Amino acid sequence: MSVSLRRQVALVAAGCALATVPWWAGDMYQLHLAQLIGAYWVLIAGLNLVVGFSGQLSVGHVGLLAIGAYTFAILAGTHGLHPALATACAGGVGALCGLLLGLPSLRLPGFYFAMATLAFALIVSEIILAQSDLTGGGVGLAVPGFPAPFDTPQGTYWLILLVAAVVTWLTWNVARFMWGRGLIAIRDSVVTAQAAGVPVFRAKLIVFVFSGLTAGVAGSLFGSLQSYVTPDTFIFELGLFFFVCIIIGGRGGILGPLVGTSILTALPELVAPLAKLGTFFYGLLLLVVVLLVPEGIGRLFELALERLRPRKVESAPVRPDLERLSAAIRKGQR
Amino acid sequence: MTSLRAREVTKTFGGLTALAQVSLDLHPGEVHGLIGPNGSGKTTLLNLLSGYYRPDGGAVVLDDEDLSAAPVQRRARIGVARTFQKPRLLPTLSVLDNAMLGGWREVRSGFLGTALALPRVRREERLLRERATEMLHGVGLGAVISRRANLLEHAQQRFLEIARGLVGEPRFILLDEPAGGLTGAEIEHLSSIVQTLRGCGIGVLLVEHHTDFVFRICDRVTTLDLGRVIKHGAPAEVRTDPEVIRVYLGA
Amino acid sequence: MLAALIAGLATGALYAAAALVYNVMFSTSKVLSVTTGHTAMLGGVFGAWFLQTWNIPVPIALAGSVAVGALFGLITDLVAIRRVLARSDEHLWLLSTLALATMVQQAVALWWGTEPKPFPRLIPQGFSSGLADQKYWLPVALAAVLAIGLELFYRRTLYGKLFLAMSEDSFAARARGIPTDRIRALSYVLAGAMGGLAGFAAGQLTFAYFALGLTLTLNGFIALAVGGLGSNVGALAGGAALGILSSVATYYLGGEYQQTISVGLLMLVLLLKPEGLFGARAGRVV
Repeated sequence: MSVSLRRQVALVAAGCALATVPWWAGDMYQLHLAQLIGAYWVLIAGLNLVVGFSGQLSVGHVGLLAIGAYTFAILAGTHGLHPALATACAGGVGALCGLLLGLPSLRLPGFYFAMATLAFALIVSEIILAQSDLTGGGVGLAVPGFPAPFDTPQGTYWLILLVAAVVTWLTWNVARFMWGRGLIAIRDSVVTAQAAGVPVFRAKLIVFVFSGLTAGVAGSLFGSLQSYVTPDTFIFELGLFFFVCIIIGGRGGILGPLVGTSILTALPELVAPLAKLGTFFYGLLLLVVVLLVPEGIGRLFELALERLRPRKVESAPVRPDLERLSAAIRKGQR
Repeated sequence: MTSLRAREVTKTFGGLTALAQVSLDLHPGEVHGLIGPNGSGKTTLLNLLSGYYRPDGGAVVLDDEDLSAAPVQRRARIGVARTFQKPRLLPTLSVLDNAMLGGWREVRSGFLGTALALPRVRREERLLRERATEMLHGVGLGAVISRRANLLEHAQQRFLEIARGLVGEPRFILLDEPAGGLTGAEIEHLSSIVQTLRGCGIGVLLVEHHTDFVFRICDRVTTLDLGRVIKHGAPAEVRTDPEVIRVYLGA
Repeated sequence: MLAALIAGLATGALYAAAALVYNVMFSTSKVLSVTTGHTAMLGGVFGAWFLQTWNIPVPIALAGSVAVGALFGLITDLVAIRRVLARSDEHLWLLSTLALATMVQQAVALWWGTEPKPFPRLIPQGFSSGLADQKYWLPVALAAVLAIGLELFYRRTLYGKLFLAMSEDSFAARARGIPTDRIRALSYVLAGAMGGLAGFAAGQLTFAYFALGLTLTLNGFIALAVGGLGSNVGALAGGAALGILSSVATYYLGGEYQQTISVGLLMLVLLLKPEGLFGARAGRVV
């Protein structure tokens, strides 16, 4: 998991390209698309640690997005709180709800957990509709934008880009150090994770709470982008979409889901017939990926590269170096 | 340095008694063999010592601490490592990443510190990477350090599990049929590794079916049958014990 | 209040039927399929289509709906389960059944429309029959028929016994020469048929509606978890409990918090008795 020079150059180039999008994006609509991808990514980056790394299949994160958006709309809109503060509160409320949801459900086996998150998303919808005094019920709420210098489309884009960059950096760090290995162990072999001493439940809960935080913040950005939210904005299919972006992009990585999010958000916009198919298309993609390339599209590229540049996997007999072994053991014992 | 002890442990599953008042002491710096026919309770005892089962009677003790109710993770934290009968690896990660996982207990950084890439986190990562690399070379996997774990051959998988266990600086390591599926040459390598571990003061529990291998390298051997200890002592004694021969070794 | 109880029992019966479908699929594959609710949804939608658009007589429309459900069950096994079970990753079948369920639900939405459409009468009856309305007692009768039918199937027929053998220990079953792939496919066909039948019988209660798939997957699961995975008696009990509780709560508190209450019930039971009311304690797996 180390970073080479070539990667760093690519990263800087990508960063420059992203930062200058408002100037080379075709029109306002494409800029809005970029903003949407960014806002979605803030949630998906956090969810990625839950789904892609620790293997907890949460399909109901749209509920946390809704909570974030409504919290922001109520605090910044109805109560006039400064949007930055409201966003922070939305993140906090998202994290708290992540804790409340995660505590009882993360102990449950996979299917039970997925159903619990599904139920959570439906419950959030129900509560939003029911508490109409607070949330505007079925009619919805207007969501304020951010103050200068973020009140223009370009400004909003840069705000989202900034938040997305920070969240990406945070999750990349978690992924490349020991926590990344620990989470993947929880996903692929709980028994091994336990044997290594990984605190399985606590780790699952911590990343889940973190994903609630990012979902809350994403909700603020997303709500602000939409400028008006109703319960119908947060249907289950959106939660499914987030989930699918990660699986298709590839679990266990950061770049894969990012690419997945970008492509899956943009695709229906660019290819009109797909827009009509909507969620059917996502379901079909998910099925194809699960059956053919379960590790995601990212792995597909790796495999293609290997076909082009085959590196022979040589048989390497085990050849212990006993001096090195005892030196290493004794070093640890000191 | 105290020993890892199973004191009169009993384990039942439904109506079946898997272990009945079995005692076993694993001393630091010794290789202790555990043999017996299938169903004698070897794996159950190993699971009890490593924390996957709770004893129904008796206790598992280390350093005067009763571990019986402690979760599996506690074993790793106090220095008890294990391997598995069927190797359990993380298939999408490299050999190095798999080995580094064994060093989890060294990690002091929490989630927040890791997310912020604090200097302490980077330092821990570097040190663990060095240690894991040395262990991998030590057990003989230097040539495949960057290979994806699901591309490993069987013997390589077994040795990787051992390396992973060692990265955590254990005082004891419990090996669950490590010679299963290995060639003669590979068993020789395994022997020399186990002897090196003994030389460094690590206590090794060796659950095995390859009895020649066991009698050759173990300091003491415990034989189980139907959940009870039927013989315990030096390899020469156990090998010639009539009861052991009757239930397990054959004529 | 009586009306609420009867209505609750009827919906509960549909949930119980879904839980039975879960049980049958689980018995041979150890998989909880997201497509469970969709077998019933298809039964309802196709039933309405056969009856109204094609004016097919009730018995044949019934057979047709059951066939559609059975076919979908088979597709679930062949597409989402068979290849996936061969791989070691445990999460995969959840993803594949989720994908298939999504595709089916959206395909029906595109074809049938997103509005719930009324389901015609199966037996001539006026619309002012009150509590004796067939939309209430048809599902209840169906749940009873399914449960009794399953019991007889497991005890009296060879295939039923094969299902049980596979459920106990699929490795041993295979070692004894039982063609586990074919038996599993058969169990999914049976489960799908049951679902289709349930959807048809409950059509007047639920209307022919594409979104019923996911709703029933969730509620059927709650009934299953409350009653205990693997227990058919539990499925009936769980379904009844869920249906009646939702209905009574709606009666007293209004329908705003229905989902919350259902899940509350589930959480309560899982906390007190994690294996469900009639479920068996799970063993350790190392």
